[in-house]
Amino acid sequence: MSDKNKGLSRAREIYLNRSQRARELKAAGRRIIGYPCVYVPVEMLTALDIVPFQTCGEMKEPISEASRVLPSSFCPVMRSCLDCALKGKHDFLDGMATIHSSDPQEKTARIWQSYTNYPYFHFIDMPITVRPEALEYFRNQLSDFGKTLGAFAGRNLSTSNLAAAIRSHNRQRGLVRELFELTKSSPPRISGTEIVQVVRALTSLPVLEGNDLSAEVIAEVRSRTNGPERKSGRLLIWGSTVDDAEVMQVLEANANVVVNESCGGLRAYRGEVKLGNDLLGGLASYYLREITCARTFRQAVLGETKKDYARDLQSRFGYLQRMIKEWRINGVIMLLVRYCDPFAFEMPSLKDYLDSLGIPSTYIEYDYTAGSLAPLRTRVEAFVETLG
Amino acid sequence: MPIRGKAVMYFAGVDIGSTMTKVVMIGEAGDVVSAIKGPTGPEYRRLANEVMQRALEQARLDIEQVSYIVATGYGRLKVPFADRQITELSCHARGVSSLFPTVRTAIDIGGQDAKCMKIRDGKLVTFVMNDKCAAGTGRFLEVTAATLNIKLEDMGELSLKATKKIQISNLCTIFAQQEVVALLSRGERVEDILAGLHEALASRVAALARRLNIEPDLVLTGGVAKNIGIVRAMKENLGCEILVPDEPLLTGALGAALLAREAYMKATASGEKLPTKQRRLERATFFG
Repeated sequence: MSDKNKGLSRAREIYLNRSQRARELKAAGRRIIGYPCVYVPVEMLTALDIVPFQTCGEMKEPISEASRVLPSSFCPVMRSCLDCALKGKHDFLDGMATIHSSDPQEKTARIWQSYTNYPYFHFIDMPITVRPEALEYFRNQLSDFGKTLGAFAGRNLSTSNLAAAIRSHNRQRGLVRELFELTKSSPPRISGTEIVQVVRALTSLPVLEGNDLSAEVIAEVRSRTNGPERKSGRLLIWGSTVDDAEVMQVLEANANVVVNESCGGLRAYRGEVKLGNDLLGGLASYYLREITCARTFRQAVLGETKKDYARDLQSRFGYLQRMIKEWRINGVIMLLVRYCDPFAFEMPSLKDYLDSLGIPSTYIEYDYTAGSLAPLRTRVEAFVETLG
Repeated sequence: MPIRGKAVMYFAGVDIGSTMTKVVMIGEAGDVVSAIKGPTGPEYRRLANEVMQRALEQARLDIEQVSYIVATGYGRLKVPFADRQITELSCHARGVSSLFPTVRTAIDIGGQDAKCMKIRDGKLVTFVMNDKCAAGTGRFLEVTAATLNIKLEDMGELSLKATKKIQISNLCTIFAQQEVVALLSRGERVEDILAGLHEALASRVAALARRLNIEPDLVLTGGVAKNIGIVRAMKENLGCEILVPDEPLLTGALGAALLAREAYMKATASGEKLPTKQRRLERATFFG
């Protein structure tokens, strides 16, 4: 299928020019709200007929404007993301919905609000533990978010619209999971690079358009005969953000990346929001409990992290064991973006856990610049060479 | 590295480092038939050809006689005549193991990076590398040698004449350069400053190496291993003996040649024909 308006080609086009569709929608009168992190419940935007658009960084763009307002020893992804905003690359946005998913997100939110002129701005104060009282607090935060969004949209967030939006986004999650099902074969039927392009495209489209695109991609991949070649490594990439196709190409230089366990990959799509009587409670539960980002503190039993380390590790990383088995992973790369402290702190425990499973792993840090790709490639290739 | 007799099949390893390009050619028994070093420079694709040509001349061979060629190092992807690319980590591990079969840990300090490798049965098991910074690399020594107006190759011997070891507090190459200027203006002796610089570099690389569980035998390679002052400082920092090959720059290229030979022999034994590139030293352009 070589039609540029369909499937993988369309995903690639959207990935390469992410704002184009958003600008078209804006010109047609739609409202677009940006969000920098997958923790923002996009269902609430969709329910009010607002298009959610994930604001990303651009690795190849040298950071200049953001250097005026942020220190250099700071999450380079957030610096790059804000840099793009300050350079007017997100000037089609009607607003920003930000969230305390990490300290850089929280600190940058204030700057975002002060240095841009969007009509709407909201900051969601997300707790960092999964305790019941944290869940209740987060639900209240989402209720506040719904109120400011409703005021901006000029109508209330209705239960029926929110339920419909949750269904659509659950469908999106299911379709992304289907994409990753296609990497279970050897060779995988879709590459990690292609999946990055699709997932990035999904975060820049209205959910229903995205679902159509995902369905096209799945059909195309299932029927094509020229998929990725089999390579010696079947890798799981664990990290904060792997959302750049060039980074993924480097990771796939001599291996197949079959699971991208980052917020640019499977992480934000693994679970589903439960549809019950309390929709906001369902959203709060999904975003706080189901997304396994290192920013959230989890423990096997309250106050017992030290007593039973193995049990604690299992409760924190058990989902990776299931992935390793299902996708027949033979190596894990813990890919750290420099200054991403939550993931850096998680790494020693994860290394212990992977060692206990007998899965080879390596830790690689890069600084989210184009110049970091060549050293990254050497480290990735050398790791895959050790897998034999 | 002795150069020995002729064989029927030949294999080559081309190691394009950030500073130096190295070629080692071996015969079918693994005997080294030529070994050449040359500066990499900006046009490394052209220079790879030149260094390869010199290696062929030294071995009195034509490129058609080389059965399989492995490229390694920072410029490995841009060697037009190489049949396969393997990282310098695997190649160093293989090369060092061939020279020191009992090696368990190898540290290579090159012009642009430092890498520490754990080796078992001649194979790379795990590794750590420095980050994107000149501290703890040959570049650190190059910059400070220029500041002190001494030759790079004289640094090691000169440092042995130190009467005290001056503490260099900055590991950053640029700031260390400024610190050296300040020390000179304070009247400190060059030899003492050198001893301090070597200590600074060695402590940084040793800290990197300690992220792996260091086990003897430990081998130090790379251009920096030619500096006796660094070898001594590394020994003090790591608290163990350090082995250095006669030609510490060539272990990557040697390993590449050995891996080329092994891949070729393995394929031949199983009746497989490995795909090879055209055996022509074409003059590739920098932008090609």
